[in-house]
Amino acid sequence: MRLGRLACFVVLALQLAVAPAAAQTFVFGAQGEPVQLDPAIITDGISSRITRQIYDGLVKYKGATTEVEPALAQSWEVSPDAKVWTFTLRRNVTFHDGTPLDARAVVWNFERWWKSSHPQHDNQVKAGQTFEYWEGQFGGFDDKSIVTKIEATGSHAVRLTLKDPQAPFLANLAMFVFDIASPAAVEKWGTEFGKHPVGTGAYKFVEWKPNQEVVLEANPDYWGVKPRIKRVVVRNIKDNSQRLGALKAGEIHGMEGLNPDDVAVVKRDPGLHVLLRPTNTTGYIAFNYKVKEFQDKRVRQAFAHAINRQAIVDALYGGTGLAATQFQPPPLWGYNKDLKGYEHSPAKAQELLKQAGLATGLSTITWDDGKKEPLVFWYMSRSRPYFPSPKEIGEAMAVDLAKVGIKAQLQTAEWAVYLDKRKNGQMPLYMLGWTGDNGDPDNFLCYFFCAPGVSREGFYANQPLADVLLRAQKLTSQAERAKLYRQAEQLLHDDAGRLFIANNQPPLAFARRVKGYVPHPTGSEYFNTVELQ
Amino acid sequence: MTRYAIRRGLTVVPVLIGVSLLVFSFIHLIPGDPALTMLGERATPEKVTAVRARLGLDRPLWAQYALYVGKVLRGDLGVSIVRGDPVATDLWRRFPATVELAGAALLLAIAVGVPAGMMCAVRRNSLLDSLARVGALTGVSMPIFWLGLVLAWIFGVQLGLLPTGFRLDSETTFRPVTNFLILDALLQREWAVLGDALRHLILPAVALATIPLAVITRMTRASLLEELTRDYIRTAQAKGLSQLAVITRHGLRNALLPVLTVIGLQTGRLLAGAILTETIFSWPGIGLWVYESIESRDYAIVQGATLFIAVIVVTVNLVTDLLYAVADPRIQY
Repeated sequence: MRLGRLACFVVLALQLAVAPAAAQTFVFGAQGEPVQLDPAIITDGISSRITRQIYDGLVKYKGATTEVEPALAQSWEVSPDAKVWTFTLRRNVTFHDGTPLDARAVVWNFERWWKSSHPQHDNQVKAGQTFEYWEGQFGGFDDKSIVTKIEATGSHAVRLTLKDPQAPFLANLAMFVFDIASPAAVEKWGTEFGKHPVGTGAYKFVEWKPNQEVVLEANPDYWGVKPRIKRVVVRNIKDNSQRLGALKAGEIHGMEGLNPDDVAVVKRDPGLHVLLRPTNTTGYIAFNYKVKEFQDKRVRQAFAHAINRQAIVDALYGGTGLAATQFQPPPLWGYNKDLKGYEHSPAKAQELLKQAGLATGLSTITWDDGKKEPLVFWYMSRSRPYFPSPKEIGEAMAVDLAKVGIKAQLQTAEWAVYLDKRKNGQMPLYMLGWTGDNGDPDNFLCYFFCAPGVSREGFYANQPLADVLLRAQKLTSQAERAKLYRQAEQLLHDDAGRLFIANNQPPLAFARRVKGYVPHPTGSEYFNTVELQ
Repeated sequence: MTRYAIRRGLTVVPVLIGVSLLVFSFIHLIPGDPALTMLGERATPEKVTAVRARLGLDRPLWAQYALYVGKVLRGDLGVSIVRGDPVATDLWRRFPATVELAGAALLLAIAVGVPAGMMCAVRRNSLLDSLARVGALTGVSMPIFWLGLVLAWIFGVQLGLLPTGFRLDSETTFRPVTNFLILDALLQREWAVLGDALRHLILPAVALATIPLAVITRMTRASLLEELTRDYIRTAQAKGLSQLAVITRHGLRNALLPVLTVIGLQTGRLLAGAILTETIFSWPGIGLWVYESIESRDYAIVQGATLFIAVIVVTVNLVTDLLYAVADPRIQY
């Protein structure tokens, strides 16, 4: 009898649970758990997807572009020498804890990022956290920084003074890491602030269930486009196939991290649709210049002609890839439209090898200390946005190379070992790539080519290229800078310094009834425009 | 018995020291620099040096080990490298989810495995027996990640009957107290939440139960078959007892001793966190946590969780050994 009652009770409880409540919730499936939710500290896309909903910066990227538009700062002025920036803040904006967003709050945030003596900087560092992006984008902390002064010149006016003009200054400020946090909340929570985030954004933080999900609720007082959905849940589903299963089962409404093979599956499903993030990522092959054969430009050009980039993109990117012609992806304003990339021509490749004295092909390389060894081509063991299936892409390239007589042995290593070998310049030929941070060409080119001859870049040294890039860094006119970046791409192309293979447009999958999601090249996407129809 | 318990208990100490040494050395034997993995493509030599110093990786190995053991003895399992949270606190927060899943899987395995084993033994070499034996063999050999995906696909995606992952629906708002969701829902009389939690538990529990179910079925069958040939069974039958009474009151009672041992071993294994099942079903227990930590090279978590798992397994084995002695008075130590 008791058992019978229990069984009835369980069945009733199951039935009660079968019908979910009306959809007032947008559920997004993420590839992992956020690290924390203090934007100044984080560096990863999973965390920043959530912080972008909770916080705003002074400026933001416009729509799906990397152009900068006003956010918390409704306008700004720059001095003729491009060293003094004055921002006028939007009025009547409050943080989610009710404290006002004013010039003092903005100055407080900048000082926290910049000054190592700031109590809320110091305690983070002591807890093992770093303000990594501030260091990277603004030259370092204290006196090392390009920022020399920040002051409130009115209740809603902030003036920033720089040591030197910085071309990508506004693009840098639009990055998620420079979103403004509530000083009162940071002071209240200290190093635990990343678990209790408070900003001015379209959504307020509600709850973080470890290893499961982060829950947000709409901020009815939001200054910008009012959120159309009351509640947002970002769920952590590690496995790509399982995440797609959850989307098909209707348990989530949107997801990232679609396997290339699944793009077609989603496209065929009438209940789902695919959106492509504008490309901001480039996969490449790097040469090690300590290998004598690779010091000959003709050999590098032979590699470029041998590889059929378009066929690789067509076969292995699930319809989301583009054959790369240069390092910058097409949406960047420094992109050189005139560059077409090396055409696929095995005959030209063979001819160039012949001219370089390698008529019989290349299967053994000579290091500059005279040591000879078989040519090993390293492919990554981990999928990255620029190479979603690195093994298959590596194999396809090796086959192309073999057709012109370049016989490379494919090899891989665990990701940490791979990066270690790359750092120490130990791989003769390897695959890697880059995903842009702020939509500025400097972020692509200068990181790699401003310091010639370093081991992590395969000892590649091209001084004229470095000079052009360093010159572009000091200018403020975008038009003048664009000219220099186009020139830089041409130099890099002519030298075949590195082989750019593909740009990828990372796919996102959504339930058909999700509207208004705007994919952004940097992954900085806002949920306030999203609707469930 | 007491002497045995003390002696058996003492053997745990060198095992745990060995485990702590192994756990500590594994991290250093794995190729690749944890600092470099954390920094990824953006690593510069200065940053790598700074991170290595912050993690204490620049100290001599023996100093790192001494520091580690000292802290563990004080209940401090260190701090997550990636998130900065205390490992011990996170461990206790995630353990209830693993216990709930392991408990459900074990209950299922026992509830189905023991009767199935009995049926097979009683109807030895029948079609039912053959089917159950093939089923048990399949259960032992089937990869859980594959079975989990198939179950989720059929019952979650195609039929829409059960959720494909997590412990609760995203629309369910519920604040657990102990993190044992079923217990919390019962205590708070939240029947809808209880139903939701049970629905979420079914698929991962079925996936996780396959191996213990197969092992228990086979062990029950083998053990009962052996008992059924003994003299006392023949005597009981000669007395005119019904077949059911002979099997349940006499045969099964004695046959269950080795089955209990197997259940003990399986309990340790299940509590250790089922990495594959938890990952496939996004079940927020220790297994998923360890998987994510291995991926991000959060070696503080990997060390802490592995040590914890080792303690659980050693303890369950110890308890099983002691219970075995209690259950069978003929056993002398």
